Amino acid sequence: MKCRKCKTPAEVALPSHNTAFCRDCFSVYFTGQVEKAIRRHGLINPGERVLVALSGGKDSLGLMLELSRLGYDVTGLHVDLGIPKSSSAARAKVEGFCAAHGLTLRVVELEKEGLPIPDVKRYINRPVCSACGKIKRHWFNRVALEEGFEVLATGHNLDDEVARLFANTLRWDAGYLSDQGPCLNAESGFARKIKPLYRLSEFETACYAFLNGIEIHTAPCPYSGGASFTGHKRLWADLEYKSPGSKIAFYDGFLKRGRPAFAQVEKETGAPLAPCEKCGSPTSTGLCGVCRLAIAVSERRAADPDRD
Amino acid sequence: MITVFVEPDNETHAFERHNTVLMLQKRLGLRVNDALVIRGAELLTPDCRLNDGDMIRIRKVMSTG
Ligand code: SF4
Ligand SMILES: [Zn+2]
Ligand SMILES: [Zn+2]
Repeated sequence: MKCRKCKTPAEVALPSHNTAFCRDCFSVYFTGQVEKAIRRHGLINPGERVLVALSGGKDSLGLMLELSRLGYDVTGLHVDLGIPKSSSAARAKVEGFCAAHGLTLRVVELEKEGLPIPDVKRYINRPVCSACGKIKRHWFNRVALEEGFEVLATGHNLDDEVARLFANTLRWDAGYLSDQGPCLNAESGFARKIKPLYRLSEFETACYAFLNGIEIHTAPCPYSGGASFTGHKRLWADLEYKSPGSKIAFYDGFLKRGRPAFAQVEKETGAPLAPCEKCGSPTSTGLCGVCRLAIAVSERRAADPDRD
Repeated sequence: MITVFVEPDNETHAFERHNTVLMLQKRLGLRVNDALVIRGAELLTPDCRLNDGDMIRIRKVMSTG
């Protein structure tokens, strides 16, 4: 296979775009897709400071590298979940990456915040991943606000977004359908949330990480009972295979024609938000969900006779 | 003989011979964009020919969690 642009041997075949690229031209293509996302949805304005959520996976680290190369003012944020072995390995990859590229990194340690995920799993009677996701989002938002970042960027790719949109559509979840997308504007105490990789597939972000020599954390979390949305991703891989371009068409079509309709319906509803009494994060319940979790964990930990 | 190491499963397979990357991917039940196919420092496209003695790394791309 030859590169579509320069005719040297290709390294990346992209049936979805009916094309193939050598590594240099793939890099140009990748950057172009990120710039297009930023431009089309006004993701980052000149001079804004961007906090990038770094898990240690290919998507978040690739996003950080690409945004820094584009000249944006980026700072990484890693939440150390406190899961034995797994969390220290992920954190080491993030720290190594930021050190190698001279990028600024902030780390939040849930152990220090009284909410290590193993304790959440042990003492809170709800699926650990839903609590964990909530805690991570809370800290990303909180650091963004407390330290004056206008924008919070995450590495969600096209496959993540399509799988999530598909799940929301199967449930006709009007609340989620009203605001899913690459840009969620800042409001009532939340920074603007952006997903600059939404036009790029998981395969493309994996190629980017490999071609840029990024060492990634690949071991799955010991608490993940299989990845979320894997079944839906499979279905979409089949669709994409039979009909290349389906994923971006579905997603772009939703942004253009679906979301505005749902946003209209949802406008009137929604409880008013006020700062959490303890941590200041926006909430509709006095004490925010994460502060309530922290109290529940510490009470049950104190009452646990098996605790050393 | 071609040696194939699959990530993140960390399994090693040895195949007598496979002419192309596409044939190897089919054998492993993978579509073109399901995994990176790595030989040394380069990525291989499906039409690439495999040679006797090749060490190939297959890196599945579907993210977990
Ligand atoms: S899989 Fe692990 S890291 Fe991911 S949400 Fe669940 S507990 Fe948290
Ligand atoms: Zn080229
Ligand atoms: Zn709070």
